[in-house]
Amino acid sequence: MKTTRREIMLFAGGSAVGVLFTPAPWRLITDTAMWSENWPGIPRPARGEIRSRYTNCALCPAGCAVRARCVGDQPVALAGVPGHPLTHGALCAFGLAGQHLPYYPARVKQGPVKEAAAAVAEGIAKCGPSEHVVTLDLRPGRTVSWTYRRAMAAVRNGRYVAATPEIGGPVAVDLSQARTVLSLGVPVLDGWGTPGNVIAARPGFRLIQAEAVESRTASMADLWLRIRPGSEDALARGLAGTITPAAAAEATGIPESQIGAVARELADNGPALVLGTSLLASTGRTIVARRETPVPEEWRKAAPVTDLASLPDGSVRVLMIDESAPGEYLPWNAIEKKLAPDNPVVVAFAWSLEGYGRHARYVLPVGVYPEVADDIPPAADSVAATFRIAAPLVAAPAGLVKPEGFVASAAGLPLGDTLRQRADAIHQTGRGSLFTSADGKSSALKEVSADDFWKALNAGGCWIDSPDDGAATAQLAPVAGAAAAAEDSELPLVAVLHRELTPGSPILSKLYQESNLRLGPHGVALHPSCGLEDGARAMFQTLLGKCPVEVALDAGVPPGVVLAAASPAVLDLCANGARAKVVPA
Amino acid sequence: MISTNKKIRAARYGMTIDVDRCNGCGACMVACAVENNVPPAHAGANDRKGLTWIRVYQVDNGEEYPNRRTAFVPVMCQHCGHETPCVHVCPQQAVDVDPATGVVGEMPQRCLGCRYCMAACPYHARYFNWWDPAWPAGMEQTLNPGVTPRMRGVVEKCNFCHGRWHAAKELAAAAGKPDTEPVNYLPACAEACPTGAIHFGDLNDAASAPAKAAREPDSFRLLEKLGTEPKIYYRSKKEWVRGIAAAPKPGPRTAAGAGIAVSKPIGAAAPQPGPATAGTSKPGAGTAPASQPGTGAIPAPKPAAGAAARPKPADGKENVRG
Repeated sequence: MKTTRREIMLFAGGSAVGVLFTPAPWRLITDTAMWSENWPGIPRPARGEIRSRYTNCALCPAGCAVRARCVGDQPVALAGVPGHPLTHGALCAFGLAGQHLPYYPARVKQGPVKEAAAAVAEGIAKCGPSEHVVTLDLRPGRTVSWTYRRAMAAVRNGRYVAATPEIGGPVAVDLSQARTVLSLGVPVLDGWGTPGNVIAARPGFRLIQAEAVESRTASMADLWLRIRPGSEDALARGLAGTITPAAAAEATGIPESQIGAVARELADNGPALVLGTSLLASTGRTIVARRETPVPEEWRKAAPVTDLASLPDGSVRVLMIDESAPGEYLPWNAIEKKLAPDNPVVVAFAWSLEGYGRHARYVLPVGVYPEVADDIPPAADSVAATFRIAAPLVAAPAGLVKPEGFVASAAGLPLGDTLRQRADAIHQTGRGSLFTSADGKSSALKEVSADDFWKALNAGGCWIDSPDDGAATAQLAPVAGAAAAAEDSELPLVAVLHRELTPGSPILSKLYQESNLRLGPHGVALHPSCGLEDGARAMFQTLLGKCPVEVALDAGVPPGVVLAAASPAVLDLCANGARAKVVPA
Repeated sequence: MISTNKKIRAARYGMTIDVDRCNGCGACMVACAVENNVPPAHAGANDRKGLTWIRVYQVDNGEEYPNRRTAFVPVMCQHCGHETPCVHVCPQQAVDVDPATGVVGEMPQRCLGCRYCMAACPYHARYFNWWDPAWPAGMEQTLNPGVTPRMRGVVEKCNFCHGRWHAAKELAAAAGKPDTEPVNYLPACAEACPTGAIHFGDLNDAASAPAKAAREPDSFRLLEKLGTEPKIYYRSKKEWVRGIAAAPKPGPRTAAGAGIAVSKPIGAAAPQPGPATAGTSKPGAGTAPASQPGTGAIPAPKPAAGAAARPKPADGKENVRG
């Protein structure tokens, strides 16, 4: 049989028509995008064995326990550890994205290590009798803090400066005992203390929030006292009776009767607790003494904790700042005036240039959580001493500096495995219990060997001291919040600073760039009557200078107030309650 | 897609979100993005072009300071159980409702990028990939192997962490459990919520936490008058919060600040041009009882099609834009 050209054409045409009556072409059309799914630009997640590893979050003093879901050794997701006696399974937005921190695009990865070491050595050698070598620690109470203190004790005129009163200090707040809590602007429900612990204790107390702006805590409080910005001090004094209720009412802008009602509630519905920017006062056992986490006896030959303000102006020859662990930021203007006028040496151990790296002569790169091992001091609401290690989950890149090693080397202090030494010192006491995250069990420390204790700590375990039976209610002197600045026609606004986002995981852009849920690192919020447009670029200006910001309009911000994210750039310009203005850029 | 002739245990997964417990921390948003390999924001992304499968909206009572009160409302795909709008409009069959779970699924491989589903969704819970997904160098190592990253040009949305459901099913199968047994499964947002505001479970199971919570008198659903039977139940004791769910018509968001009822719009409750109506919303309007008394499980929508099956809206209008 001879096949003609015509028959071939007919067959081809018939086939083409026939195919249209089969599912094939329609299937191909509906799956149009299937091929583009594997374009080279689309990353393919690595595959491997899925397993869990445990650590503790080092991003804030809460030190929440973390379960990391890993592919092989690489963590791909973090979650809290339910049943943890301190953190109760909670993990905040920052902690949930902690595994991304090593990939922060603006991370400092290289630095002049040798030059900095030489400059520090020269500065120490040239340090005059009235000059000082200072280590500034943004998160005191850690094991590395003890290293800094020992190193500064070994250096002539060495001083150890803590950014805040030591977190692992002698007192703690026992929220579980409180029935009434008055907060003077403290973000009790938005990251203060140990969030999981606060949430667990929340049903047991009535919360009164005194704040100018309806913060997250104020919106969830049982009572929100809308005081004038910067009038926390006046309210505290009015409640304490050191000024008349009428004067307090005039300063705070709330009725005298309401101040009286709050005072009565604190007295009648106890135990009560008053929280300010520092601990204030309590009735009953809501503020308790807390033992210090044990350290080896030989570490006690250490420099005392010094307040920055106590250093004479112009006296700091060498300043080493450890900002590897996020902590309270001291404004640069307060530090700068302490520096020697002629060529002081300032070294910042930092992983980004958003903080002191903007001002330091040398910026040395450091590891970030969860790359490096560091311990986390007990939080403000931890009633017992604790010891937890942020065990590394990923390997740190080459070229990083260990701040404690650098400082110890500069001081000629021999340094061993300090975390292990401290763990052994704790184990020798035989006190307390060990919680292991993997199985969620607690066991008495006496029943655990020193090696097993060390292994458990490196697997996210937590040592909790036994209750201190002799602990008495602490008597604390009232410490006020920010005082209102005097009116200034040039600076018509009052700055209210909110601790918001810090640079870190790129995924946090969901919270401020893609949803406006939080103020971004350079964001300010103003009342819509301010005359600026939503999203406008502007300059935030105070007596100390100005910085660029992005404006968000919010009818919840009182007229005359600028709500600003407490970024280092803003903290360098003003404190809470300072006068400011926002002008178009 | 599950074969229709295979015997399955028909679950109806849903959530209850206690608005009064939400402090707007954003942990659910971050956990969701991490779990589902949603990339960080592109430089050009904003609150309209970003990818946030679950988004926490800050809402307020429409008053000026000092009488203004705010609340935080997490909104994700509401997994409509009746007349699911996105399913109906998709020309590519890229959206379907899984009969085994009740989850509204999205298949990006099929998506043409026409965005009809985004227009149809009354909750603004669908997001379009305006850019190729990109992570900072090295961060690709942290991607979840259980979820494939999506390409530019397709729509995506919450699927109740379907990867976790598959993983749970695999674990159950490995343990020798039959298909008809419930699996231990929890989406990332519910797991991450530090305040315990989000509860997830099978609404067909009367003993599950969301089924119980959905029967509480302070329970409500968003835009309930549309009759789409969402499987996300909210709870709040504040009347003005429940009122917002009924989609009052807020005034424009003006520089003068007048008439703001929803500072960060939720779905069809987005500020639209019109007279200022702050404070005029009727709390509870359009919110029907969550369930019928005496029934354990939350009632599933009846299969009857068309408008006749829908509950009559409180204001008598079918279209919230009307």
